[in-house]
Amino acid sequence: MAERPEDLNLPNAVITRIIKEALPDGVNVSKEARRAISQAASIFVLYATSCANNFALKAKRKTLNAGDVMSAVEEMEFERFLQPLREALEAYKKGQKGKKEATEQKRKDKEKKITDENDKSRDEEEDEQEGENEEEEDDVEN
Amino acid sequence: MAATAPAAPAESELDRSGAEDEPRGTEPEEDGGNGQAGPTAGAQQQHRLAKLPLSRIKALMKADPDVSLASQESVFIIAKATELFVEMIAKDALVYAQQGKRKTLQRKDLDNAIEAIDEFAFLEGTLD
Repeated sequence: MAERPEDLNLPNAVITRIIKEALPDGVNVSKEARRAISQAASIFVLYATSCANNFALKAKRKTLNAGDVMSAVEEMEFERFLQPLREALEAYKKGQKGKKEATEQKRKDKEKKITDENDKSRDEEEDEQEGENEEEEDDVEN
Repeated sequence: MAATAPAAPAESELDRSGAEDEPRGTEPEEDGGNGQAGPTAGAQQQHRLAKLPLSRIKALMKADPDVSLASQESVFIIAKATELFVEMIAKDALVYAQQGKRKTLQRKDLDNAIEAIDEFAFLEGTLD
């Protein structure tokens, strides 16, 4: 896809909102400052990813997981983030569990429907097959 | 294609996450919305936990050729950490604006914060 890291940035509207919510009312942010913060945020993502990936590789895993990211955040000296991140992760996991169960339930309902339909048509097929088998037996005997 | 497991071009790799998570996820595109909006479908509420779009975060992570796969949780945590980072750097830069008796945060306030604060050392020399 050839997306260079420099080309990828985070949506301005969201970055602006995060900044605004962090600062007291009445404070403004210049366009240049906003742009620099957005850029810094992208670099943060790249740096944290690289750091987290090292932890995964050290553990001989190919898949980066949440624990790797937590280790990376700590190594990058952002310990103050660890507690809020843990809490956010818990909430996220709960939400994912709910989604998973909903998807599971949908899948079960779907399967049941298909099974019911199959049973019905199978009954019909068996009736037909019995007729055919009788004919074949006649042939073999000859 | 490189012999070692590369960050494959296929979208599915990071989408399909590792052992932990359900691969399907509807990602909000831009604004994920704030946490306080009224009762919505479970899936949407879920993504209100991260303000930054997970799809964009994922795309950034994929830019690293050494990264093969990343669980959905890891993408989420990075998104959340980035949000905290933005809050932190904005507040730290504000101190310098206030020292200059200004109510508008300017680029130089960022530069000062980056120079002064250890945690931001990784940013030195990186911003345009």
